[in-house]
Amino acid sequence: MDINTYKAQRANYYKVLGGLLLLTAITFIQPHMFLEHYTFAAQLSIGAIKAWLIVMYYMHMKGETLIGWTVVFAMSLVTFFFIVVMLDVEHFQYEDGSHITSQPHIEVDYGHHTASHEE
Amino acid sequence: MSKSYLDAGETHCAIGHPKSVFWQWMLTVDHKRIGLMYAAVILTFFFVAVFVALTMRIELFAPGAQILDGDTYNQAFTLHGVIMVFLFIIPGVPAVFGNIVMPLMIGAKDVSFPRLNWFTFWLYIFGALIALSSLWTGNGFADTGWTFYAPYSLNTNTNVVTTLVAAFVLGMASILTGLNFLVTIHRLRAPGMDFFKMPLFVWGIYATAWIQLLATPVVGITLILALMEKIFGIGIFDPSKGGDPVLFEHLFWIYSHPAVYLMILPAFGIMSEIIPVFSRREIFGYRTIALSSASIAGIGYLVWGHHLFTSGMSDLAKTVFSFLTFFVAIPTGIKFYDWVATMYKGKIILTTPMIWALGTMVTFVIGGLTGVTIAMIGADIHLQDTYYSVAHFHYAMLGGVVFLLFAGLHYWFPLMFGRIYNETHAKRAFYVNFIGFNMLWFPMFIAGWQGMPRRYFDYLPEFQIYHQISFFGALIFISGLIYMFTVLISAIKNGEKVGPNHWNATTLEWHLPTSPPPLENHSKVPYVDFRPYEYHHGEPVVKFNLDTMQRID
Amino acid sequence: MSHEEHGHEYVPEIATTRDGKQFEVQGWQGDIYGGKLGFWLFMLTEIMMFGAMFLVLTYYYSLHPQDFIDASSHLNRLLGGTNTVVLLVSALTMGLGLLKMRAGDVKGAKLMIYATIILAFIFLGIKAVEWREEYVHGVFLGLDALQSGNEHSRPFGQIIFYGMYFTMTGLHGFHIIIGIGLMVWLLKRINSGKVTTEHHILHFNIALYWDLVHLIWVFVFPYYYMIGAGHGH
Repeated sequence: MDINTYKAQRANYYKVLGGLLLLTAITFIQPHMFLEHYTFAAQLSIGAIKAWLIVMYYMHMKGETLIGWTVVFAMSLVTFFFIVVMLDVEHFQYEDGSHITSQPHIEVDYGHHTASHEE
Repeated sequence: MSKSYLDAGETHCAIGHPKSVFWQWMLTVDHKRIGLMYAAVILTFFFVAVFVALTMRIELFAPGAQILDGDTYNQAFTLHGVIMVFLFIIPGVPAVFGNIVMPLMIGAKDVSFPRLNWFTFWLYIFGALIALSSLWTGNGFADTGWTFYAPYSLNTNTNVVTTLVAAFVLGMASILTGLNFLVTIHRLRAPGMDFFKMPLFVWGIYATAWIQLLATPVVGITLILALMEKIFGIGIFDPSKGGDPVLFEHLFWIYSHPAVYLMILPAFGIMSEIIPVFSRREIFGYRTIALSSASIAGIGYLVWGHHLFTSGMSDLAKTVFSFLTFFVAIPTGIKFYDWVATMYKGKIILTTPMIWALGTMVTFVIGGLTGVTIAMIGADIHLQDTYYSVAHFHYAMLGGVVFLLFAGLHYWFPLMFGRIYNETHAKRAFYVNFIGFNMLWFPMFIAGWQGMPRRYFDYLPEFQIYHQISFFGALIFISGLIYMFTVLISAIKNGEKVGPNHWNATTLEWHLPTSPPPLENHSKVPYVDFRPYEYHHGEPVVKFNLDTMQRID
Repeated sequence: MSHEEHGHEYVPEIATTRDGKQFEVQGWQGDIYGGKLGFWLFMLTEIMMFGAMFLVLTYYYSLHPQDFIDASSHLNRLLGGTNTVVLLVSALTMGLGLLKMRAGDVKGAKLMIYATIILAFIFLGIKAVEWREEYVHGVFLGLDALQSGNEHSRPFGQIIFYGMYFTMTGLHGFHIIIGIGLMVWLLKRINSGKVTTEHHILHFNIALYWDLVHLIWVFVFPYYYMIGAGHGH
């Protein structure tokens, strides 16, 4: 490849790196700064954006049609499995007699907003 | 004259250039030789599992213990299931005919990754050896059933760990086969052969390969988690610790249901090949059959919950799964209508492959329809885990997949060996098999309906009559199998020699210069500007000069 | 894959139509796109496998959310976060290496591969420190804290959390080790001239593999380390 393509692609790689580092930083401040009660959803959404960047640019999926569709197909299957299995466990009809699925419905405590120290 | 692939001599090998015939076979990367080796091993395992089943039938001839005790009986049906499912039927048609015939059908010289193909074969052998080794080590073969349900599989002290590891290795072999075939079909089709000019057997292998690729990893990780639980006692599936055994069932059947479509789709592909040749007509509804293979593969991923109807699943989930299960029967039905329509006003030639195919139409329809019965939630509550289920899946798997595998053996035998077997004996063997099969399995529908549970070593006296009829059916069926294989095996050496296109068929595997095929397959790759099943007044339209592979019609 | 190995060049066949038009036949040898496709299909199996593991994790998270958050807050976010950055940078170095190989800078490509290997080892080292920290606190597979029914047993949800944590990070670490092996093999192939600027599908695929390894961590990290991050421990 010629030097200009090389430089352009290299610049692209660094841009994606910057984006990923920024998103990682956001990952760390999110539990204290915004959407604190939706940490789970927020964290995985940030992860999904990172993943999209990686797949599109680092893994060069942007230019691939067939491969792109196979990835979409596989992800759709995984999504279907998730949805159905989670629907099943959430609507378990013998919940009262089960010690596996019966849970007291508590307000989940994600913790305080102050900075935390690891043990 | 080019040498046939069976002759000793230069064959492409994974490592080096061995001179001895033995090492040329052990190290060969040629898809035809690999397919033959799979056939020999797979059919041997088939017979081992058949004899395990015979032992079970002997035991079940009367209530109470005859020749086995309860624990050994549990090991017997587990062994039968593990061999039949993991060592025989899942590799089955893809490993044998997918390897031998599929590349020839698309005009390729080999699969996309021949060395991976070689490696995969030996990976399969390795997995098989691990599974069989557990017969003689520790506390003997697993006694959990091939489904390894938690928590029993976690708590029993038989060789569950070994079998789980074996199943994982075998699963890897299945994944790699699927991967190889997918890339082959996407990349190595002859110029001009777009997807809708491929023979329907290739469509079947293609759809199957997608299932092999995407569904198997799920069971792979399920087995790993079960192993982690057995070794470290985490409690993912064990209710005594807080875990959920239904989660195991979900994960297990997320693979194992698509696995049955993995079994039947290549078999249906074989049916789609045989029917047009012996009706001397173009297949009816090519596109719908092709697309139905793809839709069965797709929808088949979505229906696993019908194995869990009695597990305590939520009503919402049960309803979704029941609906989808009914829905997935539709594409199969379409195939059957298309096959019958192909035969209508065709010139039917009742050769051995054709009568196996026709016999399968009867047995698979019974298998398929009884499946639809138990797709009904209400009916399934009564029939789940009874002999009705057992009869259903044997009619579908044995009367569907295996019968079509036998049909394929008879159809492609002249291709593989350049010889033909004795038709009269082969046909008689079919009838013995067909009668024995139905006598063995049909009574089980009735027994199951009356309440005979499956995997039970003992039973109430009112069921005895069904077991006795089944036993005699088993004897007839096994005689039929032995008869059939004797006919085939003796023909390998002594059969009458035949030319490359014994059946006067149209697909590319029959247009080779020698019989058996040369090592390098077609002399030249043809340009494909024709449909796969073009007949005119019973004769193939497309004719080739076999040295230049140019059309001369 | 490598036609040069046998000393004879692979010459693709030509298929001719009836009108004399010629088409090149795609053989299994030298099929670059086929190599790429095959490797992507393999990576789909990894997605299915780790996807199923995340399903198990989500299943139990929905049943024991507080246990999961409590357990998560005890993981070492500093070390985990450092590892995230280490892996991120290693994905960059691997990608740059491929870019250099394509541009003809084989020496630069090799340097980048070495850099990736070093970063991979750093990742494993930090992971080992983390695991040891857990072990020293009695939290490890097979130890009492992760078994039910004894005096040291943690709540069930935490047992599942940690059990899956060790399983998944263990499997992920196993994939890193394999990645290191692949990179070492790649260096050997480059040195022996089998992988070149014109013919580097192996390099491409190994870079893809490394991106997959990174991709898995992109989800493992927040799911395990960050859900309990706001907790005041």
